[in-house]
Amino acid sequence: SSTKNPAIPAPLPSALATARIIEDIGSIQYPEGFKSPKPELNVNAKQGKFRYDRDFLLQFMAVCKEKPDSLPPLDAIGLEPADQSFPIT
Amino acid sequence: QEVDMQAQADTIRTVFSDPTNFNVKHPLYSPWTLWFDSPATKGRNLPQTPMTSFPQTPVPHTPGGIAAQGWMEDIKKVITFDSVEEFWGLYNNIVPPSQLPQKANYYLFKEGIIPAWEDEANKNGGKWSIQLPRDKNRAVVDKMWLYTMLAAIGETFDPLLTSGEGGEQPTSLITGVIVSTRPQFYRISLWTRTAPTGAAGADDDKLRERIESIGRHFKTNVLGYPEGQRLAGALATEVEFLSHKDSEKKGKQAKKIVV
Repeated sequence: SSTKNPAIPAPLPSALATARIIEDIGSIQYPEGFKSPKPELNVNAKQGKFRYDRDFLLQFMAVCKEKPDSLPPLDAIGLEPADQSFPIT
Repeated sequence: QEVDMQAQADTIRTVFSDPTNFNVKHPLYSPWTLWFDSPATKGRNLPQTPMTSFPQTPVPHTPGGIAAQGWMEDIKKVITFDSVEEFWGLYNNIVPPSQLPQKANYYLFKEGIIPAWEDEANKNGGKWSIQLPRDKNRAVVDKMWLYTMLAAIGETFDPLLTSGEGGEQPTSLITGVIVSTRPQFYRISLWTRTAPTGAAGADDDKLRERIESIGRHFKTNVLGYPEGQRLAGALATEVEFLSHKDSEKKGKQAKKIVV
């Protein structure tokens, strides 16, 4: 768990917190090797209202590892992994 | 060569081109809230955490709200998110279903919808669900839950809305998805805003068709079963739909739809 050390300055806002919302999904160029969302899902898409297929979404799994600022400490809400070595029988 | 600072600032950088300094993110069709409960969250005064990091759990303002209130005190709001990038940040820092305690539930619902049938958005609806024996499915439940969440946040559960055909599109029928862990099985559920009532008429037939197409998509494209495969067995059910109103009848007159 995190202990507060006053000597360490507060971290800069994360890219997640400062990034703008994409308004036109069709205008985004993805780097080579990355797929765009399937165009048929967003034919009449309104600004900021997009659908994304699974293959597109899965590309983020290995990239977006950073814990969101708004995620509370999991133990504080009673959300902890079960001890797998002693299953209740 | 001189770098044009303004041009550089205006350049669109997705998380794929710059994982730490990206400047655009992918908005979700709707914001979603993840809720959690388990024996560890029940009847226990959890340590106080700062208000900013521990959102208050609201109480539903519905007639059934009073009955649900005790339960609402036990269920914990984990996070609300509205972008693809934030979803994955959450996913990569949370416990997968296979490692949860044996009586736990994740509820992923659209923001503003309480994960209870008493909520206005759920009370006339129902759920597609599948029950899977725990031992045989421990290795696959995490992937099934991930794919269920991705279809929810990607808003691709309803084939009517993803066909790519033009015109004004109707509202999504999906309100949320749930995974439950129990000593003997897992259950994954998909909640809908409406449910066919069985009344005679074209409207109900049309709704039933739409609900069935969502169920078929859930079974084949999301969970990965062949369309015709029968799944029921010891501790296992088919992919089946039941309205919340019929669920209350405890099976007596329950009209299940199976795909």
